[in-house]
Amino acid sequence: MMGHSTVRRDAAGLRVGMEIPPWEVLVSAEKMKTTAALLADPNPIHFDVGAVQALGLGDRPVNQGPLNMGYVMNMLAAFTGSHDCLRRLRVRFLANVLAGDRVRAAGVVTGLTEAPDHGGRWAECDVSLAVVGGRTVLRGTATVALPGAGAGAAESDDHEENKT
Amino acid sequence: MPKAHHQPRPVGTGTISEQLPEDIRAQIGRRFPGGYYTAEPYRAWLLADAAADRPHAPAVHPLHAWLATTGGIGITWDEFFAWFGATAADGPMFGEHETVLHRRLRTDRRYRVSGSVVSAVRKRGRAAGLFDLVEYQLELHDDADGGHVATCWNSIVFPRGG
Repeated sequence: MMGHSTVRRDAAGLRVGMEIPPWEVLVSAEKMKTTAALLADPNPIHFDVGAVQALGLGDRPVNQGPLNMGYVMNMLAAFTGSHDCLRRLRVRFLANVLAGDRVRAAGVVTGLTEAPDHGGRWAECDVSLAVVGGRTVLRGTATVALPGAGAGAAESDDHEENKT
Repeated sequence: MPKAHHQPRPVGTGTISEQLPEDIRAQIGRRFPGGYYTAEPYRAWLLADAAADRPHAPAVHPLHAWLATTGGIGITWDEFFAWFGATAADGPMFGEHETVLHRRLRTDRRYRVSGSVVSAVRKRGRAAGLFDLVEYQLELHDDADGGHVATCWNSIVFPRGG
């Protein structure tokens, strides 16, 4: 697994077209079991190899769509410095991810706008997730808040609104 | 601040609209029972770990917005599928999802979940065959002060055979 290193970006160093550092993970069947319990998702394709085989879907459990989306969120958090910088993520699920797949989240900045209310910028991004060396399984767009030059990501506070 | 989308969207290309049965059309606008969800620390930890992230309470992984809205929707997946005359065995699939975060999610806070079915259309695609595309949207509000925390919009594809 990788992706826990934080890549803080000063707004001044950003440009439209820049690539977001990719984020990779080896997909684990054990994490799917935890997620099935958390989501109260009874679909056995996420945890029962026998059911997967019976459905003709191969012999590896199928990852939950929300986890695939979560990997993209991790990439964006590493890019901005915090999950708190995420404002919007929209994705289309294109294909399955299977246990044992290595997937890579990637993205590119497509737009930057000033955000005087938090002293930084909004960054619009195109994002994707793909099996390394294989198919793209998810595409989407995201909006993240970027701190101003010299400012870190917003600090946590129970009642603080996301700055708009 | 980004806004949640509310308009139905086309599903790929090469699809043809078909007549939607009245019993399916009647579900448009139907409200979920709703309920409450508390992001308990152990659930926040487990979800972050499952998503290959590092748990860091009291902050929670933004994926928790989905978990919270699903957890507080007030019906089971099987009950939701039944609204559309389907079961899990029919192979319903997530089509698209959008999360808009208005406020930070935190552990040990109680959130109120509400929402409804936004749209339903029937389509026929060359590869997909006949299917229904159902969109629903859920809102998350802080139960303590009523503040709007998140909007989760989803689309589900119900294969209809044929």
